[in-house]
Amino acid sequence: MINMQPYQNPTYFMLIALTLLPIVIANLYEKKIYWYQTLISFGFLLLSFGGIKWHQGIALIVYVIFEIFLIKLYFNYRAKSNNSWIFYLTVFVAIIPLIIVKVTPAIYGGQVSIIGFLGISYITFKIVGMIMEIRDGAIKEFRLGQTIQFLLFFPTISSGPIDRYRRFVGDYNNQLSRKKYLDLLEKGVWYIFLGFLYKFFIAYFFGTLLMPQVAQNALARGGISWWLVAYMYVYSMDLFFDFAGYSLFAVGTSYIMGIVTPMNFNRPFAAANIKEFWNRWHMSLSFWFRDYIYMRLVFFIMKNKLIKSRITIANLGYLTLFLIMGFWHGITWYYIVYGLFHACAIIVCDAWLRFKKKHRQQIPSNRFTKAFAIFLTFNTVCFSFLIFSGFLNTMMFHHIMK
Amino acid sequence: MSVFKRLFLIFGPVVCAAIIVLGFLFSPFRPDKISQSTIQKAALSQSPQVFKGMAVKRAAFRENYVPFFGSSELSRIDALHPSVLAQKYHRSYRPFLLGTAGTQSITQFWQMQGFGNELNNKKAVFIVSPQWFVKGGIDAAAFNYFYPRPEIVSWLLKAKPTTENRYAAERLLALNPKDSTDEIDDSVLRIAAGQRLTNFQKTYLHLVKNELDHEDQLFSTISLNNREALIKKREKELPKDYNEAKLDKIGYELGKANTTNNSLDIDNNFWKHKLKPVYKKLAGEQKNFSYIKSVEYSDFQLVLNEFAKHHINVLFIIPPINEKWANYTGLSMSMIQDFNNKITYQLKSQGFTHIANLTNDGTKPYFMQDTIHLGWRGWLAVDQYVNPFLTKKQTKPQYKMNNYFYTKKWQNLDY
Repeated sequence: MINMQPYQNPTYFMLIALTLLPIVIANLYEKKIYWYQTLISFGFLLLSFGGIKWHQGIALIVYVIFEIFLIKLYFNYRAKSNNSWIFYLTVFVAIIPLIIVKVTPAIYGGQVSIIGFLGISYITFKIVGMIMEIRDGAIKEFRLGQTIQFLLFFPTISSGPIDRYRRFVGDYNNQLSRKKYLDLLEKGVWYIFLGFLYKFFIAYFFGTLLMPQVAQNALARGGISWWLVAYMYVYSMDLFFDFAGYSLFAVGTSYIMGIVTPMNFNRPFAAANIKEFWNRWHMSLSFWFRDYIYMRLVFFIMKNKLIKSRITIANLGYLTLFLIMGFWHGITWYYIVYGLFHACAIIVCDAWLRFKKKHRQQIPSNRFTKAFAIFLTFNTVCFSFLIFSGFLNTMMFHHIMK
Repeated sequence: MSVFKRLFLIFGPVVCAAIIVLGFLFSPFRPDKISQSTIQKAALSQSPQVFKGMAVKRAAFRENYVPFFGSSELSRIDALHPSVLAQKYHRSYRPFLLGTAGTQSITQFWQMQGFGNELNNKKAVFIVSPQWFVKGGIDAAAFNYFYPRPEIVSWLLKAKPTTENRYAAERLLALNPKDSTDEIDDSVLRIAAGQRLTNFQKTYLHLVKNELDHEDQLFSTISLNNREALIKKREKELPKDYNEAKLDKIGYELGKANTTNNSLDIDNNFWKHKLKPVYKKLAGEQKNFSYIKSVEYSDFQLVLNEFAKHHINVLFIIPPINEKWANYTGLSMSMIQDFNNKITYQLKSQGFTHIANLTNDGTKPYFMQDTIHLGWRGWLAVDQYVNPFLTKKQTKPQYKMNNYFYTKKWQNLDY
C-alpha cells in the first residue's frame, strides 16, 4: 500500500480537494455530515500511518487508547475529589510515552523508539492541556467521540498548530451560517495557496537549492567564516518558510472543514524584541507553554509564597519554560543551549524594558531605534536558529574527523 | 453578493491555475523538433536538467554527437579540452558532455536509461575517476541531487527481476530512503524483491511517463549554461593545423602561465578559491585513502551492463593524479596501481578492451589542471586515444558479462 505524508506533494492536495468537496457543499447548505468527516479523517490517517509506516499506525492506536483511558479515569476521579498529587501523577503518566520517545535516541545513539509516531508531541500537548482543564473544572463533560475527533484531527495531526479542546469542540458542534462559512472558505483557500508560495517556492529556494552549497562551503572553511554567517540566515529563512507554509496548509484545510484552528505565525521577523517574537513565532506552541507551564509555575510559586521577588519568579518561569522546550525538541546539547539562550535573551529583554520604563526621558524612541530593535531581534533569533540547526555540532565532528 | 459570485471569486483563480498547469503538462501539443543550436548548447552545458533529461540526449545521438561520460574533469574547458579540439579541427564527431561534479557510476547508469536505442552499436568515451571508488561509493546527497525520476519510470516499464535490476533497485532504495511511498517507490520495492509489477502499476507508470516526457521536452532546455563563447575563445588559442608536438608546447605554456601562485602546479583560480583556505589541513591527510574496496565496483558494473546491452563500443580513460599533490597529501601510489589492476580486470575479462590508462602520467608537468582533474597536456594525451578511436573503424566488441561483479565478494576483494 502507498504511504503519503501530509502536504508533501500535489497528489495529496488533489486528494484533499476531492474529498473535502462534499463537506464544502454540505456547509454551503448549512449542514454537517459528521459520518463523512469521520470517514475521510480515517482515510487520511491510514494514508499517513499505513504502508511502510504501519508500525507507526499501531503505535498511534495503542497510544490513543492508553491516553483516552487515562483522561477518562482522571475525569471520573476529578468529579469526586481534587488531590494535587493525583493531578501531577496523571500529567506525568500522560507524558511518559513522549518522554520515552525523546530519550530513546539520546541513549541508543539516534535509534528511534518503537512506540513513536509522527506527531506524538502535538497530541501529547493536546492531552496535557485537556487534563489541566479538567482539573480547573473548565471541561465539564467527557465525550469519547469528540475527544477522538479532537486528538486525531487529521489536518493538524503531524505538526500542529496545537488547538484547545473546548475551542475545537465548539467549532465541531457549531453550524456556521452560509455567509460565515464562505468567509472561512475564502481564507482557507487563500492560506493554502500562500502556503504553496512559502513551502514550495521560497523554502525550496533556501532549503533545497541554497543550503547544501552554503553548508558545504562552511564545512570546507571550518570555524567561523562568512559562509557560516550565510548558513545562519539561509537556515533561518528555510525554517520559517517551511514551517509557516506547512502551518498555513493545516490552518487552511481546517478552515475548509469549518474548524478555526489557531494561526501559528504572525510575521515573526517584524518583532521588536524577543518577547514579542515569541508572541509571533510558533504561536500555538508558545501560548501552550505560556498558559500551561509558565503561568501555572508562577501561580504556584506565588500561592505558596516560595519566592518574594516578582522579577525572580518571572525569570525562573522563563528558565523553566525554555529549558523544557529545549528538552522537548530533543535531548542534544544544541537544543538545550537553544532553550537556555532564549531564556537568557528574554530575561535580558525584560530587564531592558524595566530600565527603559524608569528612564523614559533619557532614552530616545523613534523610527530608527525601532528599526534597530527589529534588526537586533532578527539577528539574535537567527543566531539562536544557528544553534538550533545542529550545524555547529556537524562542524565540530567534521573537524574532529579530519 | 450571491453565493455563486463569491464561489467564483474564491475558486476562479484556483481553477484557472489548474487548467493552465494541466494544459501545459498533458496537452498533445509538443514543442518543435529540438534545434541544432539547442543540441550544441546542451552538449556543452553539463546542466543537471540535460543530464537527467531524455529528449535532448536522444536528439543529439541521432546526430554525430558522442557521449563523453565523466565527472568534474569535463568542466575543465581549456584550449585542449575534447570539445574544443573536435570543433577546431572539424572532427567527424562532437562530444556530448555527460557528467559534472558529483556524478559517479550509479548516476551515469540512471541517466543512461533515458537514451532509448539511439546509441545502439555506436561509440562512447567514459572517464573513470579513481576517487569514486571510496568504501560507500557515491554520497547519498550527491545521488539525490541528480535523482532520476523520469529514468526510474522508463526503467521500471522494462525491468525484469534480473540480478542487475535487483541490484539497481536495492541501491536506489539504500541511497534514497523514503519517508513516504507512491506507486513508483512500491514498484521499485517489487523489483528489489524479485517480483514483477502488477498490471495496475504498469498502467499507472505509463501515465506518469507520458507526463514526465512532456515535462522534459518543455523544461529541460531552458536556461542552460552557455559555453559556446568560451569554446570559441579557446579555439583562438590553437594553431590552424593539428600538430601534436606544437599543441603539446602550447599546453605546456598555458599550464605554466596559469599555475603561478602555488608550487604544486595547480591552476591559479582553483588554488585561490578551493585549496588556499584549507590546504594546510590536507597535508598527509590522504595517507590511508583506499580505492580498492568499494560498492562502486558493482555500480560501475551496472554501467558496463548497459553498454553491453546496447552494443556500445567504449573507450575508457583512467586519469592520473597530480603527483606533487599526491605527495603532499600522502596518497599511496601503490594503492592506485592496485586500483588500476582491479578495474582493468573487471573491464578486460568482460570484453572491454579499449582502455587508456594514464595513471603514470601524473608526474608530467601541466598534465593535470589541478589536483585530480585532467587539463592542458593531459587532454592532449587523451586526444591521442579519443581521435583514432572515434574516427577510425573499430572491430565489433564481444562482451561476456559476469554477474560476479555484483557480489560483495568482488566489492571487497583485495587486489
